[in-house]
Amino acid sequence: MNKRLHWFALLVASATFFLIVAGALVTSHAAGLATPDWPLTEGAFLPKVESLGMRTGVNMVGNLFWEHGHRMVATTVGLLTIGLVIFLFVAEKRQWVRRLGLLALFGVIAQGLLGGLTVKLMLPLAVSTAHATLAQLFFCVTVSLAVFTSASWMREQPIREEQGSLPLRYLCVAAASAIFLQLIIGATLRHSATWDQHLPTDLLLTHVGGAVAVTVLLGSASLLFLRRYPGERFLTRPAKIALLLLAVQLLLGIAAYITRLGSPNDPQPLNPMIGITVAHVACGALVFATTIVLTLRSFKVLRASDLALTLSASPQRS
Amino acid sequence: MFKQIKVWLVLTTILSLVALGSSCGKTANEGGPTEPAATTGKAYTAKGDEGTVSGAISFNGTAPTPKKIDTSADPACGTANPNLQTEDTSVKDGKLANVFVYIKDGATADGTKVGDYTYSTPSGAVTLDQKGCQYVPHVLGVQVNQKFRVTNSDPTQHNIHPNPKSNPGWNQTQPNGAAAIEKTFARHEVLIPVKCDQHPWMKSYVAVVKHPFFAVTADDGTFVIKGLPPGKYTVAAWHEKGGANGTEKTMEVTVAANGTAKADFAFGDAPTASNRPGLEMMPALDLPMIGRH
Repeated sequence: MNKRLHWFALLVASATFFLIVAGALVTSHAAGLATPDWPLTEGAFLPKVESLGMRTGVNMVGNLFWEHGHRMVATTVGLLTIGLVIFLFVAEKRQWVRRLGLLALFGVIAQGLLGGLTVKLMLPLAVSTAHATLAQLFFCVTVSLAVFTSASWMREQPIREEQGSLPLRYLCVAAASAIFLQLIIGATLRHSATWDQHLPTDLLLTHVGGAVAVTVLLGSASLLFLRRYPGERFLTRPAKIALLLLAVQLLLGIAAYITRLGSPNDPQPLNPMIGITVAHVACGALVFATTIVLTLRSFKVLRASDLALTLSASPQRS
Repeated sequence: MFKQIKVWLVLTTILSLVALGSSCGKTANEGGPTEPAATTGKAYTAKGDEGTVSGAISFNGTAPTPKKIDTSADPACGTANPNLQTEDTSVKDGKLANVFVYIKDGATADGTKVGDYTYSTPSGAVTLDQKGCQYVPHVLGVQVNQKFRVTNSDPTQHNIHPNPKSNPGWNQTQPNGAAAIEKTFARHEVLIPVKCDQHPWMKSYVAVVKHPFFAVTADDGTFVIKGLPPGKYTVAAWHEKGGANGTEKTMEVTVAANGTAKADFAFGDAPTASNRPGLEMMPALDLPMIGRH
C-alpha cells in the first residue's frame, strides 16, 4: 500500500469532480460556444490578468470565463492523469490497476477530443451528450483507482456470504447501470434545450421514470446492506452515503425542474437555476461514484451463499 | 480481453481525430446545405404603378415590463449601457416595435406569383451592430445573397452566432475594434435567431427574404412596404414572442395600381384565429428549388 499513490488518486478524482462541476457550469450558462476556437481560446491559453502583469491572453469576461475556465481545469486534470499513470507504473505492482490507469488516460484524451468536436461542430446533441457521459465514466474510473489504492481495499476483509434470495452484488450492478442510463438521459435532456427554451416533455418524463428506477434499485440495495450487514462499515458506510445522496439528488431534481420552468422567460440564465441544476449534475456524479464504490466493495467481500452455489452447481436437484 | 479494449480505444481515438480534423478544415460557410438564389424565373422590373402596404401593429393587454439585465459578468457592458434591458416586447402607446412584416405569398395582377420572379440583389449591405451589448437593430430583414454586415461598436468582444435551419450556421468572434464581418445567406428563411454566446442576453433576428417587400415596425409600431406591384397578397407579421419560434399572423390584401393597402395586426392577449405560432423555415413563397434534387 502506497499512501502517496492513494492520495494522488484521490486528488485526481477530486479534480475530476471539480471538472464535472465546471462543465455543468458551461452548459447552464450556455457558454459552450463562447469561442469557436479549440484547443486554444482566441489563440491563447493563459488568461489575461493585468493585475499580475499578464497583459495578453484570454479576456475572461462574460461566458468566456466559464468556457475557458472549463478548458483550464480540463487541462489540469489531463496533466494530473498523466502524473497518476506515471505514479502507477512506478509504485503499483498490480498490473490490472496499472491498466486501469491507462484506461483513465485514454478516457481523458478521448474526453478532450470530444470537447473539441462539440465546439467545432457547434454542439451537436449526440457529441455534447457523449462528452457529458464520458465525463461521468472517467470520474468513476478515477474513483475506482482511488478505491483500489486505498488501505481499506488492500486490507484483508472477512468474506461474507450473500444473505437472502436477492444477491446484493448484482443488485448493485443493476443500480449502477440504471444510474448510468439515467446520467445519459439527464445529459441528453440538458443538451436538448438551452436556458431560454422549454425542456422536451418526453425526455423529461423519461428522466423522471429513470429517477424512480434508480430510487427503487439503489434505495433497496442500500437498505438491504444496512439490514443484512449492520456491523460491516466497509459496506454500510457507502450504503449510508448513497442513501443520503439519493435523497439530496431527488430534492435537487425537483428544485432544478422548478427553477428551470421559468427560465425561458428570464432575460439571461439566472443564478438560482444555474446553481441548482449544476448541484443536481454534481450530486448525480457523486451518487454514481458512491454506487460504484459500493459495488466494488460488495464484490470484494461478498460471495454467493453455499446454498446458492450448491443450487447453481446442480440445478436438477432443485 | 485487454487487447480488444486496446484495439477499440485506438480505433475510437483515430476516428475522433479524423472527425476533428475534417471539421477544423471547414470554413464558416461550409457547415451545412447551401442553395444558390434562384437564377431562373421572370426577372422582376418595376413598371411605375407600384403600390404600398402600410399598417400598424397593436399590442393588446398589458405589455410586460422590460427586465433589467445583469451585466456584472462583463463590466464593459455595464459601463457602455448601464440601463440594459430586455427588448423582446417593445411597446409604446399600445404599439409594438420590432415586428417583421413581409409579403409571404400572392400574385401580381398578371397572375405571376411573387415568388416566381427573380429579384436583383441590392448592392448595399444590411448592418447589424453590437452596441451597448445589444444588437442594433433587434430585428432586421435582408434579401437572399445580400451582404449581411456585423460590426462591433462595444468596448468588449462579442461572438456572433446565427442559428439558421435552412442556411449554414456559423459562429465567429469579433473583438472590439475588429473589422466588420460580412456574410450572406443563400436561402429564404424567416427568421434566423442570432445570439452572442459570450453575453447570453444578446439576441437578434434576421429574416432572409427573396424579394424586397418587407419591413420592420418602428418604435411607434408602424411599417410601410413600398414598391409592391398591383396584385393580391398574403401579408405576414412575425413577432418573437408567443411560442418557441415566435408567432406569425397573416392577412390577405389587395394592392391597386399606385394604391395603398392597409394591414393592421394585433399581438398580445386574445389571439385570433389567424395566429400561427412557429417560424416559417421552409420557403414561404413556394420558390423553385434550384440546385436541389
